[in-house]
Amino acid sequence: MLPEWMKEVEIGPCQCCAVNVGKKKSFVENSISSVLNFFHDSLISEDFAKRDGLLQSLDPRVKLVSAIVLVVAVSLSRDVRVLFASYLLILLFAYLSKIEVSFFMKRVWVFVPIFAGIIVLPILFNVFMAGDSLVPVATLGSGAHLGPILLPSTIYITRQGTMFAITFILRVATCVSIAVLLFLTTQRDVLFKSLRSLRVPKVYVLTLDMCYRYIFLLMDTVRDFFTAKKSRTIKSLSVRDEQRWVAGRVGYMLVKSLDMSNKVHDAMISRGFNGDVKLLHDYAVRKRDYAAIATVLMLSSMLALISQNIIRI
Amino acid sequence: METIFDLHDVSYTYLEKFEALNSVNLTMTAGEQISIMGANGSGKSTLLSILNALVYPTSGEFYAFGEPVTEEAFNSLEDNAFGRYFRKKVGIVFQNPDIQLFSSTVFDEIAFGPLQLGLPKDEVKKRTEEVMSMMGISSLRDRAPHTLSGGEKKKVCIASILSINPDVLLLDEPTGGLDPRSQLWLIELLQDLAKAGKTIITATHDLDIVEQISTRAIVFGEDHTIKADSNCDKVMNNLELLTSANLIHKHMHRHGKLMHEHLHSHDGENHHER
Repeated sequence: MLPEWMKEVEIGPCQCCAVNVGKKKSFVENSISSVLNFFHDSLISEDFAKRDGLLQSLDPRVKLVSAIVLVVAVSLSRDVRVLFASYLLILLFAYLSKIEVSFFMKRVWVFVPIFAGIIVLPILFNVFMAGDSLVPVATLGSGAHLGPILLPSTIYITRQGTMFAITFILRVATCVSIAVLLFLTTQRDVLFKSLRSLRVPKVYVLTLDMCYRYIFLLMDTVRDFFTAKKSRTIKSLSVRDEQRWVAGRVGYMLVKSLDMSNKVHDAMISRGFNGDVKLLHDYAVRKRDYAAIATVLMLSSMLALISQNIIRI
Repeated sequence: METIFDLHDVSYTYLEKFEALNSVNLTMTAGEQISIMGANGSGKSTLLSILNALVYPTSGEFYAFGEPVTEEAFNSLEDNAFGRYFRKKVGIVFQNPDIQLFSSTVFDEIAFGPLQLGLPKDEVKKRTEEVMSMMGISSLRDRAPHTLSGGEKKKVCIASILSINPDVLLLDEPTGGLDPRSQLWLIELLQDLAKAGKTIITATHDLDIVEQISTRAIVFGEDHTIKADSNCDKVMNNLELLTSANLIHKHMHRHGKLMHEHLHSHDGENHHER
C-alpha cells in the first residue's frame, strides 16, 4: 500500500544546531497576531460589562444616548481646559465603573496618536499654519520651495499650531474614550439591541451583531491557515511566493465566508426568519437612569454654551 | 398515518454539474424514526436540505404536508401561511454548529426561532428557560456561542430547534464530534422525543446509533440513488448492502497470536472503531 519512499525512516541523532534563530516573523504573521490579540482583549473586555460599577448599572439605551450627546458636545468644544476637564471626567466614570484607569488609557492612547497624530502633524509647522515660533526646525533661506509650494525661509513649530494640535488630539481622545467606555461597560448584544431604540433598522442591528460574532470564527480560520503553513514550512519562501500564498488565502477566505453566509442564511430561514428580525429586549428605565441622562444633558449643554462663548470661563 | 413528506423522482445537481441526488422516490409518515445512511458525499445532507425546503429539486416533485414545495411558494422574504406552518412543523440541526449559532448569546439563540414564528414574548422567555433547563445548559445562558465547547455548541443547536417545538426533527450527523457521554445523552433525548410522537429523520454514517434512534433505514449508494429502504434490522443485517454502500468494510488484524477478520465501520472521518 505505502510507496517505497514512505517506508524509509531516518535514524540516528540530530546533526543540526537549534541555536540559529533565523528571520523574525513576517509582517503578515505579525499583523495577524496583533489582530488576534485585539480580539482576545475584546473577549476579556466582556468581563468589564459584568462588573458591578456605575455605568454597568445604567440602562443601555440611556448610556448610548448619553454617549452620543457627550460626543457631540465635546466635538463642539475648542477650549483645551474644558476638553481636559471632560477627559478627566471620563476617566472618573471609568474608575467608578471599576475599570482599571491605566488599562483604559492604554486602550485609547494606542490608536489616538496613530490616527489623530498623523492628521494633525502638518499643522504644527509654519508651512501650513502661520504663527509664532516655538521650536525652530530648519533654516532654508529665502526662495526655497517644495515643487510649486513656496516654503518660508525658516521652518519652525508654531505656538498656535501646537495649541491646535493639542486641542484636536484631546478632543479625539475624549470622544474615543467615551465610545470605548460605552463598549467596555455594556454587553455587546445589549448594546447592539439598544441601537433599536434609536430607530436603527432591525436588519442593520442584526447584521452588525452577526459581523461581530463571525469575525471571531473567521479569525480562527485565518490563524489555522498560518499554523498549518508553519507546521509544514521547512525553509522560508521568497517574498513573491509568500505574497502569492497570502493572496490565495485571502481569496479562499472570501469564498469560505460567502459559503458560510449562505449557510447561516439557510439556518435562519429554517427557524422562521423572513427578512423581518424580531428581537427580545425588555429594559426598564429607573430613577438613576433619569438622573444620569439629566446630568449628561446638563453637562453637554454647558459644554455647548462654553464652546459658543455664551458662558465664559 | 399521515404522510408528511412525499418525493417523486427527485434529483438535485449542484452548479449544474455535481450530482447529489438521483431519482429519489420516498414517502415519510408522521411519527416515524428514520436513519438516512450513506458514505460521504452520497447525498444525505442534500436530502435533508430539500426536506427542510432550503434547496429545491433540480427535477422531480417534493410535497410536504400535502402541499407542493417550490422555490416560488417559499420565497423567504414573503411571509406566507404555508411557509410559517412549515417552519413551525420542521426543524433542522445542522452538522456544523457554527453556522447555526449566529446570535450573540445562548439565550438569544434559543429564543430566535419562537420569536421569528411570532410567539408572544412571555411565552418565548418561558420556553427558552424551560428548554435550557431540560438540556442542562442554563449556566451557559449569557455566554457567546463561539466561546462554547463542541459538545455545548451541539446542545445549544438542538435546544434552539426544540424551542420551536417542531413535530419533525431533521438531524445531520448529530453525533459527529461528540464524546461518548454526550452521544449517549443525545440518543436518550432522541428516544424521549420519539416516544412523544415526534418524527425524527437522522442523516448519519455512525452505524452504532442507527438501531437505537430509528426503526426505518434508508441507504444511499455512492451513485446518489436509494439502495435500500426498509426496517432497521433488515438493513443492518444486510452486510452485502452495507459493504456496497461503503458503510462497512472488511478489516483484518491480530489479537495476540490470532489473526482475526471482521467487518468494520467508520464513524466520521477520523474515528476508527469497531
